[in-house]
Amino acid sequence: MTSFEDVATKVKRGERLDADDALALFMEPDLLAVGALANAERERRHGDRTFFNRNMRVEVTNVCMASCLFCSFAKLEEGKPGAHTMTLAEAWSELERRMDDPPGEIHIVNGLHPGLPFAYYEDLLRGYKRIKPDIHLKCFTGVEIHFFAEHYKMTYEEVLTKLRAAGLDGLPGGGAEIFHPEVRKRISDDKATGEQWLEVHRVAHGMGIRSNATMLYGHIETFEHRVDHLMKLRALQDETRGFQAFIPLAFHPDGNGMKNLPAPTAIDDLRNIAVARLVLDNFEHIKAYWVSMTPKIAQVALRFGADDIDGTIVHETIYHSAGSSSPQELREEDLIRLIREAGRVPVERDTLYNVVREHPRSVMPEAAIKVRDRKAARHLEVLS
Amino acid sequence: MTTQAQGAFAERAIGDGGLEAVLAARRAGRDLTAFQSLVLGADILALGALADGIRAEEVGEVVRITVRDAEAVDARAADVVPMPDASPDARGLLYLRAVAAARILGPKAAPVVVDWTVTGMELAQLALSFGASELAGPIVSKRGLPIAKDDTKRVKGQGMVSAALLKQQELVELIRRSGREPVATEGATESATDLAALADVNVVKESTT
Repeated sequence: MTSFEDVATKVKRGERLDADDALALFMEPDLLAVGALANAERERRHGDRTFFNRNMRVEVTNVCMASCLFCSFAKLEEGKPGAHTMTLAEAWSELERRMDDPPGEIHIVNGLHPGLPFAYYEDLLRGYKRIKPDIHLKCFTGVEIHFFAEHYKMTYEEVLTKLRAAGLDGLPGGGAEIFHPEVRKRISDDKATGEQWLEVHRVAHGMGIRSNATMLYGHIETFEHRVDHLMKLRALQDETRGFQAFIPLAFHPDGNGMKNLPAPTAIDDLRNIAVARLVLDNFEHIKAYWVSMTPKIAQVALRFGADDIDGTIVHETIYHSAGSSSPQELREEDLIRLIREAGRVPVERDTLYNVVREHPRSVMPEAAIKVRDRKAARHLEVLS
Repeated sequence: MTTQAQGAFAERAIGDGGLEAVLAARRAGRDLTAFQSLVLGADILALGALADGIRAEEVGEVVRITVRDAEAVDARAADVVPMPDASPDARGLLYLRAVAAARILGPKAAPVVVDWTVTGMELAQLALSFGASELAGPIVSKRGLPIAKDDTKRVKGQGMVSAALLKQQELVELIRRSGREPVATEGATESATDLAALADVNVVKESTT
């Protein structure tokens, strides 16, 4: 069995970690040790720079044919309580309303709706580009692209070619869940398999479309399944170099088919960030998605290997339906403060990680703590 | 310089952070005021390693769960602890630093208490790795609303269980997942014995301060 010290030595020599090493990192009881190793790697790559963007989310429909156990929208049919499908005008108005301070990116993830024509999605994208020609449209997960291909009888390449002609710029990383069939068969049997998800991204990367990758952890999977997932992503990235960021996503148990399971805890959140930073050596960015982790833990993750904290995100519904206690939106100044307080330098980026604006380092170091502040002291106490 | 429970990382981190002197002074019972700025400026993970080592050495692995209302927290608050200069809203790292500083600079074997309603469950759990030894606070829902004593929820295989107890069971789980041993504080909550039965934890008497 590989020891943590063996892994640490490999990391320091710049050697690639294998599956046993990854497993050793998941099993190491000293979380801070794993975090420190990942943090050193993060600082070697990015220094203190920490990325965020100004984005918004739209879910045009939550109607979905798939029956994923982890999803609060599973098997939701049109007309059932809670089901919604936006008209194109409604979907476009989400952006129109924000044009006085427009986002740089729209992130669209939907249910697998059986009753919409393919033209609906093409028109959707065209409409956003009409409103703001330079908006980056990061839309439809690998699972949705696979669904479009099956449902509308096209190849992945045909689907992606049509969507790109309509304005698609990139793919989000969702739908990856856990690739391993032992897990995937049990939690989401009726949508794209792990192999199919990877193939969609392979085809997209081949066409010059960049994407992200995710992993849904903390439900019924084992550490071995997580390692398998990371290794498959790393192998595809070796081949295509098309992934920009890896985003671990915590399972939230409210209102879905696995509500009897306990949610993963903050310790697991941080460990996934750290292990991913060390194992995914060909991924430039590891993202702490604050909607899933809460802003506080996402901030801590910036010292455990993460260099990106996602964006301002308006109107998130997927995690909030599953019981996330995170706020709906963080303002830009909230994100900047969060990053600065971690002792990092906030860098606003676009979707392709071009720098939009590098903010100055905080004049207040992270350690600017006022001593003996009675008002604050009520939150923590030391009793003698 | 570190405790046996900790590995090579902690030793290195404490050495690299120049924190050995703090530990030596603490063990010798000397005044620690001079180390305040060193502690407040040190690398957060090194500081966590030091605080965790001191916690293991002085307090052990037990984490107390104390249910009480917010006013009680206020009344018992001490002002010897360095604290963040504002509300801990969205301030994960500052809060952890304050917890670690409290453990490192505070009185020997002191309970370092975190109110889970202020930090949220997630940060409260992390605080356990940064020197905290007790979780305390009122039992409220995720949205911060009080849970009534007679509120119940159906649990598979267990029938109707008190909602307040389930909330405490969540705390027990958080503590166990961080590798520590939860105990319920008797007297601080009338349900300590119920919790003990439900979640298989020990009950300890409330400490006198």
